[in-house]
Amino acid sequence: MSESVVLSLTKATKLYAGVPAIDGVDFDLRRGEIHALVGENGAGKSTLTKVMAGVVALTSGTMTVDGVEASPQSPLEARHLGVAMVFQENSLVPTMTVAQNLFLGQERFYNRLRGVYIAAQQFLQSLNFDVAPTATVGALGAAKKQMVEIARAVLHNAKVIIFDEPTASLTPEEKKYFFDLVRDLKRRGVSIVFISHALEEALALADRITVLRDGKRVVTDDAAKFDRARIVQAMVGRDLSHTLYGVRKATARKAGDRVLTVQNLKMAPMVKNNSLSVFAGQITGVFGLVGAGRTETFKIVSGALKRDFFYGGEIFLRNKPVRFRVPAPAVRAGVAYVTEDRKVEGFFETASIARNIYLGLMSRFPGGRAVLSRREANTIGSDWVKALNVRAIGDEARVVELSGGNQQKVVIAKSLVQEPDLIIFDEPTRGVDVGAIVEIHELINRLADEGKAVVVISSYLPEIMALSDRILVSRQGKVVEEFSALEATEEKIMYAAIH
Amino acid sequence: MTRPARDFINRFLGRGEAAIAVPTFDGALKPNQKLAEAETVLECAAPEDLATDGRSLYLADGPRLHRLDGAAATEIRSFDRPISALAVLPERRLAVALAGREVRIYSQPSAPKPYAVFATGLRAVNTLAPGLEGTLIATDGSAVYGVEDWARDLLERQRGGRLLALDLASGAVTTLAAGLGFAFGARTAGDEILVSESWMHRLIAVRRDGTMRIALPHLPVYPSRLSHASGGGYWLTAFVARSLLVEFVLREPAYRKRMMAEIDPEYWIVPRLRSGLSFKEPLQGAHIKTMGVIKPWAPPRSYGLVIRLDGAGAPLYSLHSRVDGTNHGVVAAVECDGDLVMIAKGPGRVLRLPIDGLDKEFGA
Repeated sequence: MSESVVLSLTKATKLYAGVPAIDGVDFDLRRGEIHALVGENGAGKSTLTKVMAGVVALTSGTMTVDGVEASPQSPLEARHLGVAMVFQENSLVPTMTVAQNLFLGQERFYNRLRGVYIAAQQFLQSLNFDVAPTATVGALGAAKKQMVEIARAVLHNAKVIIFDEPTASLTPEEKKYFFDLVRDLKRRGVSIVFISHALEEALALADRITVLRDGKRVVTDDAAKFDRARIVQAMVGRDLSHTLYGVRKATARKAGDRVLTVQNLKMAPMVKNNSLSVFAGQITGVFGLVGAGRTETFKIVSGALKRDFFYGGEIFLRNKPVRFRVPAPAVRAGVAYVTEDRKVEGFFETASIARNIYLGLMSRFPGGRAVLSRREANTIGSDWVKALNVRAIGDEARVVELSGGNQQKVVIAKSLVQEPDLIIFDEPTRGVDVGAIVEIHELINRLADEGKAVVVISSYLPEIMALSDRILVSRQGKVVEEFSALEATEEKIMYAAIH
Repeated sequence: MTRPARDFINRFLGRGEAAIAVPTFDGALKPNQKLAEAETVLECAAPEDLATDGRSLYLADGPRLHRLDGAAATEIRSFDRPISALAVLPERRLAVALAGREVRIYSQPSAPKPYAVFATGLRAVNTLAPGLEGTLIATDGSAVYGVEDWARDLLERQRGGRLLALDLASGAVTTLAAGLGFAFGARTAGDEILVSESWMHRLIAVRRDGTMRIALPHLPVYPSRLSHASGGGYWLTAFVARSLLVEFVLREPAYRKRMMAEIDPEYWIVPRLRSGLSFKEPLQGAHIKTMGVIKPWAPPRSYGLVIRLDGAGAPLYSLHSRVDGTNHGVVAAVECDGDLVMIAKGPGRVLRLPIDGLDKEFGA
C-alpha cells in the first residue's frame, strides 16, 4: 500500500503565534484517488492543504512526495514537485486574458499571442470548458474564473491537485462538468484532494474522506463507510443531521403585508422586465443559476446598482415608489442587503468586529456623525457578538482573523444593527461551516417569525427548500415561476430554472 | 418642480405615471386553474349581476330577472332596459339599476311597481349594495359614458366615477366620493365602504366624512364587484388582467384617438371580456400560441379572476381562468349554500365552485 502513496504528512503541526492551526495530523494520499477533506471552518483544512501546496511551511512534522521527504517553501517549489492548488479565493490576474493567465509563468522570450490563444482554446475545449481564451478574467463570473483556475492546474501536469471549495460558485450543470473532470483526472492517475462544505459532494465523489476538527484529524475512512450523519457528527462532535437541510418544511408562514413590489425592472443585460413581490413575515427564497439576474435585481432594490435610466421599471417599498441610487437611503428606508461576496463587499477586514458592526449603524445617519463613540461601538459590538454567537479571540479581534462562518455573522450583524424591515440575504451560507449554517438558518427563521420580510438568494437547492415559505425561480433576468414551500420539489425548481 | 414639468420628465424617462409596468401575479395572486375547472350552472345571453337574500339567488340577464334554483332559472320579471346592477335589501326588497341610468326599489322581487325611483344625474350605475344606516350605496362608473361604453371611458382616461348613497326614505342622493377611475363595486366594511376603482387598479376605503384611504393598491387586474364572504372578508372579482400592451396604449393619446376614430371597437387594444381569437385582434401568433396551443401565460387579452380578501382587504388567495381558458370577464361572485356562484360575462356563463376546502387548499 505504501508504494501507492503519492503524498503523506506525518505528525504535521503548524503554529500561528503559538496557536496550533493543525496539530499532529497524519495524512496520506494515494495515487489516483479522490480524497475529500471536511471539517468546520477553523478545523485546519486550509492550513493542511496550504502546507502541501508550499504556501506555508510546517512548524514540525514531515511531508513526503513519492516517498521522498519534501518541504516546499513556495507554491512554485510545490508545483515542481507535482503539487498544484486551486484556491478558494482565486489567484488569477484580473486584467489579463484567460489564455495569458493559463500560461502565466511559462512565457517564452518571444510570445506569439495568436499561438497562445489557439493553444488555450484547444486545451479549454479538451476540458469541455466554455470559456473564451481572449476574455479578460476580470469580466468573467465566479464560475468561469473557477474553471480557469482548474484548467491552469491541469495544464501544469500536476500529479496532485488540491481544490479548496471548488464547487461553491458553480451552477448544478457546471458542477456535473466539474465532477466528470475530476473523475477523468483520476483515470489519468492524478490524485485529488478537495475541501468541500457540501457533504453530498464528498460522499458522491470521494474514495476516502478525512474529517478534521480543531486542527486534529478525527477520522479517515473509505467514503462508502460514511453517511451524512456520521460525517457531521465527526465534524462538530454533536448530531446536527436533523437540523441541516434534512427536514423539509411541513408548514409555510402566511404572507403579511406586501413590503416590496418590483415591476418590470430592467438593467441590461442582466435584468430583463423582472417583476416580483416580497411579503412581511415570510422567507422568500430566490433560486436560479448563475447569471439569472437575482443578485442584480436585489442590488438595484438596495441601491448598490442602478436600473436602466430610460423605462427601467418601478420599485415600490410598502406601496410607495422608491428609487435608491446609492445604498444609504435604502438603509434608512429599512432595506438591508447581506452580500454574497463578503470578503470584497461585506466588511473591512483589518478593522475589529465592533468597528465593522458600528459602521453598519452609522449608515443610518444621513450626514454621518460628528462624534463617534468608541464605548458605544464596543457595547454594540459585544451585544451582537453575544447575540449571534460570534466566536473570536477577544472583542478587539479583527474580522480577517475569523473563520468564514464567523465573518458571515459579522456581516449579518452589520446589517441587522440597522433594524431593517426587509433583509436580503445573498448566498448567506456560502463558504460557511455546518455549525454556523445551522445558526444562520435559525437566525433567518427568527427574523421571519418576528414579522420581517426576508429574502434568501441561494444557488443551493436544499438550502432554498429548507428555509423558504415561497420560492421564486429566476431565469435569464426575470422571475419565471413561483412555488409554495409545500408544493416545491427539487425537480420542479430545477426544471423551471433551466427550461 | 411643477406638475407639468414632472409629468413631461416622467414621460420622457418612462418613470412614475408614465412607467409601463404591471405588477406580477404572485403571492396570493399566483395563477391556478380553479375558475377554469368550475362547474357551468347556466349559459345565458347577457349575464350581468348576482344577488342573494341568503335563501334565493337572483340573476340579472339582460333585461330579465331570474331566480336560480340549482341549474334551473325561473324568470321572475323583465324590464324595458338591461339590468346593470342588482341587490337584495333587508325584508326581501329588490333594487335594480336599469341601463345604469335609473335605480328602482321594489318591495318584493315580483312587485308590479317600484316604491322608489332614482333617475336624476345617474349615467353608469354598475353596483348596488346595502349601505350604512339604511341607505343604498351605488357606484356610478362614469360621468360621461354609459355602462356599455366602459372601454371608451378607459381609453379617454376619464376620472368621473362616483360613490353614491341613496336614501330610500327621503329620496336624497348623496355623493360620498367623486373623481374615481371607474368605480365598479362597493361593500360596507365597518364604518367604511370599500370601493373598486377599476382604472386605478385598486380598492379604496371611503369613510363617512368622505375622506378616503387606499386599502389595496397596485393590483395586476381591473377590479370589479365585491361581496361579503361567509368566513369574514370579501370576494373581489376582476374582469380582466392588466397587460403591458394596454398600459402602453394608455400612454399614447394620439394613437388612442386615431384608434377610436378608425378601428372597429371590437378590435381596439383594450381589456376584453372575451377573446374571439380573430385574426384581426391585436395580439396574434406567437404572442398567444406556441405549437398551435394557446399559452396560459400569454399576454392577456381576456382573463378570469376572483380574489378572496380578508377583513382588512388583503388578498388571501385567488381563483383563475388563464389565457388558455374561457371563463373570462368575471364581474360578479356571491356565496350561496356553501358555493361560490360567479358570472363569467365573456362566455355568458354562471359558474359554481364549492367553497369548502378552498381555504385549506390555499392555506388561508
